[in-house]
Amino acid sequence: MANLKDIQRQIKSVSNTQKTTRAMKLVSTAKLRRAEELAKRSRLYAAKMNQVIAEIAGRIKCNKVGGIDNRFFEKITNPKTVDIVFVTADKGLCGGFNIQTIKAVKKLIAEYEEKKVKVRLRGIGKKGVEYFKYNKVELSDSVINLSSKPDKKRSDEFIISSIEDFSDGKIDGLHIVYNGYKNIITQELHVNHVLPVDSDQFECNETNYSLLEIEAQDEEHMLTSLVNKYVEYNMYYSLIDSVAAEHSSRMQAMDAATNNAKEMVKTLKVEFNKARQAAITTELIEIISGVESMK
Amino acid sequence: MDKLKLEILTPNGVIYNGYALSVVLPGEEGEFGVLAHHASLTTLLEAGVIDIEKEDKSIESILINWGVVQVDEEKVIVLVEGAVAIRGDNEGSIALALEDAKKLISDIADSNPAIASVAAKLESAAQRLL
Repeated sequence: MANLKDIQRQIKSVSNTQKTTRAMKLVSTAKLRRAEELAKRSRLYAAKMNQVIAEIAGRIKCNKVGGIDNRFFEKITNPKTVDIVFVTADKGLCGGFNIQTIKAVKKLIAEYEEKKVKVRLRGIGKKGVEYFKYNKVELSDSVINLSSKPDKKRSDEFIISSIEDFSDGKIDGLHIVYNGYKNIITQELHVNHVLPVDSDQFECNETNYSLLEIEAQDEEHMLTSLVNKYVEYNMYYSLIDSVAAEHSSRMQAMDAATNNAKEMVKTLKVEFNKARQAAITTELIEIISGVESMK
Repeated sequence: MDKLKLEILTPNGVIYNGYALSVVLPGEEGEFGVLAHHASLTTLLEAGVIDIEKEDKSIESILINWGVVQVDEEKVIVLVEGAVAIRGDNEGSIALALEDAKKLISDIADSNPAIASVAAKLESAAQRLL
């Protein structure tokens, strides 16, 4: 039977841990509310932005806008180099949040390597960056402290080099992988194929597109500028969506940890009481047998 | 007079969603007005002021720094990056909105000569309200 003092020490340590995890859960809940609000407000904008781009891609594909030759909208059949941008958290203790993203990135890399496509990995978030560094996977670029505090300017600065490389023909594709917020208890992994804009899903339909027209003499310029904003915004939205998901994930993980600690304290207390009772019984037996022997 | 449905969206939420009689947009190639049943078009907007003529004929001005507009026969969707609506019920809130708007202008890093005229327009939009 374990020593009474040992058990007591263990109970204390577990309840201390429980206090920490509970505090972390409360912090995450508060932060989640803010992050969720931000993500929610942006969602509509992101959806409309994607819709506008999608319609333009559809029109270009269906050749309703004559003679546009833009790399952003072209289908690239045999890519040579692609960029994969991933977003993970800067901190751990959030369940499977980071590892899910990392796994998806690894899968994507493996897929490309099989096709003999060179992959340039660009990371956002300390956890993912550390993981790939530890596993000796080369990162062409990495930033930390961005995924915990999404900032439009820094996010633009980060993604602009991918956009430039794409338009210069140095890379032939751009993916953004992140774990997004679905609802308070679920996160959803997103592997977004950002560039080139995918127009496969559009059926060329006379009635849909015949009425539309792009107004600008300089179509090339307009498309480039629009695509830049589209990619920049996609990047930023990934960050804010990811931060909301991170907090929801951490909240869950910490909730589970608090519950586990509670269970553990319970079983330890039972054990402690048993040990104490055993000690009392032994003492009593000793006294009684002492008295008996003196008779 | 026919109405058109107008939606102005920013990354921080919807800034205008409702009906309007007409809307004047600061297109890249110059300002243009849109009435109901306008032909479909998609174009970029530059820093400037969107003037919305509302159903009660009052005019609301919204300052933007960049945008893209999609017009079709039923509705006008404007996606803007940063926007400040010049509106308010009393002098204080209008002044506050004006302050925000001026900040947005100074944030537009572009040394665009058009910006000076935007600032002037903004002042006059606020003057109308005061």
